[in-house]
Amino acid sequence: ISEKDSVQKLAEQSGKRIRDGRKRSPLDGIPIAIKDNFCTSELKTTCASTMLKDFQPPFNATVVELLINAGAIILGKTNMDEFGMGSETIHSHFGETRNPYNTQDLKNGARIAGGSSGGSAASVASGMCFAALGSDTGGSVRLPASYCGVVGFKPSYGRCSRWGLVAYANSLDTVGILARTVEDTRLLYNVLFTYDEKDTTSIPSEIFQQDSHVPICTDSLNNIRVGVPERISVFYCFNGVVKLTGKLLMVVINGYFNRSFDEPVSYFVSELDTTIVTLWKKAIDYLNHRGATIIPVSCPSTQYALPAYYILAPAEASSNLARYDGIRYGSRCDNVTETDETLYAATRDEGFGEEVKRRIILGTYTLTEGSYSDCFLQAQKVRQLIKKDFDAIFAKANPLNGLQHTDKAPDGVDVLITPVTISTAPKITEVTNVERRNAVEAYVNDVMTIPASLAGIPAISIPFGISPKDGYPIGLQLLAQYGDEQRLLHVASVLEEGSDINT
Amino acid sequence: MAQKHGLYHERFEAVIGLEIHAQINSKSKLFSSSSASFNKPVSSNVSVIDAAFPGTIPKLNKKCVDLAVATAFALSGEVQRISSFDRKHYFYPDLPAGYQITQHYAPLSVGGQIRLSSLDGLDFEKVIRIKQLQLEQDTGKSIRDVRPGMTFVDLNRAGIGLMEIVTEPDIRSPIEAGLVVRKLQALMRALGSSDGNMEEGSLRCDVNVSVHEPDKTFGVRCEIKNLNSIKFLVSAIDAEIQRQIQDICRGVSIVQETRGYDVSSSRTYRLREKETAPDYRYMPESDLPQLILSEDYLRRVKDSLPELPDDTKKRLIKQYNLSLNDVSTLLGESGGIEYFEKVAAAGRNPQHVVNWITHELWGRLNSREIRFQDNPVSTEQLGSLIDCVIDNTISGRTGKDILNQMIDGDNRSAFEIVEASGLRQLSDPDELSKICMTIIKRFPQQVESIRSGNKNTFQWLVGQVMRETKGKANPALVHKTLSDLILK
Repeated sequence: ISEKDSVQKLAEQSGKRIRDGRKRSPLDGIPIAIKDNFCTSELKTTCASTMLKDFQPPFNATVVELLINAGAIILGKTNMDEFGMGSETIHSHFGETRNPYNTQDLKNGARIAGGSSGGSAASVASGMCFAALGSDTGGSVRLPASYCGVVGFKPSYGRCSRWGLVAYANSLDTVGILARTVEDTRLLYNVLFTYDEKDTTSIPSEIFQQDSHVPICTDSLNNIRVGVPERISVFYCFNGVVKLTGKLLMVVINGYFNRSFDEPVSYFVSELDTTIVTLWKKAIDYLNHRGATIIPVSCPSTQYALPAYYILAPAEASSNLARYDGIRYGSRCDNVTETDETLYAATRDEGFGEEVKRRIILGTYTLTEGSYSDCFLQAQKVRQLIKKDFDAIFAKANPLNGLQHTDKAPDGVDVLITPVTISTAPKITEVTNVERRNAVEAYVNDVMTIPASLAGIPAISIPFGISPKDGYPIGLQLLAQYGDEQRLLHVASVLEEGSDINT
Repeated sequence: MAQKHGLYHERFEAVIGLEIHAQINSKSKLFSSSSASFNKPVSSNVSVIDAAFPGTIPKLNKKCVDLAVATAFALSGEVQRISSFDRKHYFYPDLPAGYQITQHYAPLSVGGQIRLSSLDGLDFEKVIRIKQLQLEQDTGKSIRDVRPGMTFVDLNRAGIGLMEIVTEPDIRSPIEAGLVVRKLQALMRALGSSDGNMEEGSLRCDVNVSVHEPDKTFGVRCEIKNLNSIKFLVSAIDAEIQRQIQDICRGVSIVQETRGYDVSSSRTYRLREKETAPDYRYMPESDLPQLILSEDYLRRVKDSLPELPDDTKKRLIKQYNLSLNDVSTLLGESGGIEYFEKVAAAGRNPQHVVNWITHELWGRLNSREIRFQDNPVSTEQLGSLIDCVIDNTISGRTGKDILNQMIDGDNRSAFEIVEASGLRQLSDPDELSKICMTIIKRFPQQVESIRSGNKNTFQWLVGQVMRETKGKANPALVHKTLSDLILK
């Protein structure tokens, strides 16, 4: 948390600027929270890990710098799943973050805020701050947004600078925004999407062409074609997906945790919750009512997205986390008196939590010579197929493919609408009961959000309704072609108007 | 001139390959803007990127690419329009990120060759094929001998750009190997892409050695590391070949392993066993997009290549009528050719210039342990010195003294020094005659001795005249004058 005095001082300075007519930006004086994996030179940056519990970086992340220059006031750093690995915000050195949606549940029957940007979602949902920065690698902004009832936006990969964002999986990590409304989200986005030469994966603005057809100000969707993946239950072919992921992952995970793997893998949900399907249909009708044309689409490769992600992300993670040895920064194990080799192992054993260790081992395994072709390369190929699927569906061409046309393909769509999560926010007792579940079950929660991450396309989660079963919020996801944020946000703001949730 | 190597013990042929790492001579490191300069205080040239701080992203230094591409072209390699970067993982204290960024799957350049010939001191032509050239990061330095049980890590070197050049196992003798390294050094120095200095660490050479009977398959190879001069490289390869032959003749099979070279015993010794090659878990570096080089860019680099060593040698031999030996010596020192050509440009006799540079100047710099890079004697100074000696203004000996002065910091021209300190050689025949007469009168017995044919005494008398004139008399003239006066 930022120091009270300095926050107060900044607020006063901002107030003065505004009174003098020298407002720096719409964000001048606005309190923002920052997920704790963004480097801040004034505040510790722990990534919710014991390894970095006292770490203070010598520089600010570019996006933090941009917010500061815009006059925003950084309130503090939010809790998360360690190094971004998790969908619950329970894997943290500092403990879990609870979903603030229903305050009466907080003491008894509390639910998770989701992850990995759970702290950011909760701080926005509870009114602690205007908006928050999160990071989205496989859904880490969109999923907690859905659980907590706020907007979660993941722009195209490369739109916002990753300089200073502690890497989990660098080909997937994306700076994301959590806010209460689409309009609030836009305010932050406008400050953040600039090219940064310090980030070699930052895309220069010439690549993104503005589509002159996009109606920014009208509130109709008359020219908009919304795609709905056909065969709803098959789109995210559930059991198949989990079995496939399970097979690949169970060998390593069970080996690591010394459990037998002939017991049948049990899932805590076997299908997409019917209340979510109902809400999904309701949203489709609403968009239709607002003028959009609804088109069924097919994404044949998406069913392989989840296993591909859980090969690629842990592989990159095992590489990105190799630097944490306590030698140059971070915590170092004190008890070791022998050679280097033991020092690293002891430091890393102490410094990393269970989930992080699990993913590092998994990732290391898939990169070994014997498995590289079967696991890693295959997953990369699947990733390409998923990108191709999306390119085939969207009317707008992917600017990264080098084609530069603004003509619409006659049967392409502008956005896709899908669920975000497979359920509302689970209870904390359910997810922390280790005997009842295994690690793979948790991964299944990302099944809706992962395809957009693998393809790098922009996606946004809009809180749309409340579950009649438990009274917790349900979000819906819109996806658009790479670089097409303006159109996405436009449709999102219209969808928002049909929401049952008052934010 | 080295000859083609016959079979060892009339039975075995040596098969040698080189793996060379050359530090790229750029101001900044390969992926960060910190300085790549050498010999600075420990860990002072380290940025957050070099130290692998969380949240940092590498950024490719264009200059390193330019120099590597130029080197690849100079080696006749096929520079790839598209190449990419990968991570090579292993844990070690001097590897901050836990991985090294290298080019495993798609290196910068493929193929190429080094051609050895009489210009290199080989009396037959030989082509050594290059397998590939790739860009990669250097690691930091681990220092173990300061405090027992502790490893000190200096990160200055971490992240400096390296060109890794791998040859095919075409080399057949230790001498050839030494010549290949020398040639590469000359090439990189001509291009300015690397200092190529083994003693300073800007060039590291690992060698793979095996033996076999001709027409049979290659034998098991051993790698030799930690060689820090060409001389040791050659000796080490020789020692290893002998060791392998001895073992094979005794019926002992060769185990694939990594060895070092012990200078004092002239033997190689095991460093570690290469039983299983470590699994580096190569993975594409997702922070760095593919390196795409346009046809335009490649053409520009190729067209702006400077004169390469073989051409330089041919030209200097022809233009200045110098021997191959002299030319090679000049080439062997970075900046030597330029220095020579400047001094020789003013119409001076090239042979004189070469001698003064390679024998007098370099000899003195070496004994004072001054690197030629830090040579205080300008081309104008040396030129003026040579002029004064040639036109007999001063004697050769005086010239050498003046050179010493210049090296010690005197930055005046030779003319100025001569005038200021009255070192002008005494060449006036009348004055010399007078002095010689004085000496002759002083030593009548010795004069008698000379007249009866004693040559040694004559030399001694010349010496007396030199002493009388405090070394300033023109020795040749003294010789002649005395000779005339005594023997006529």
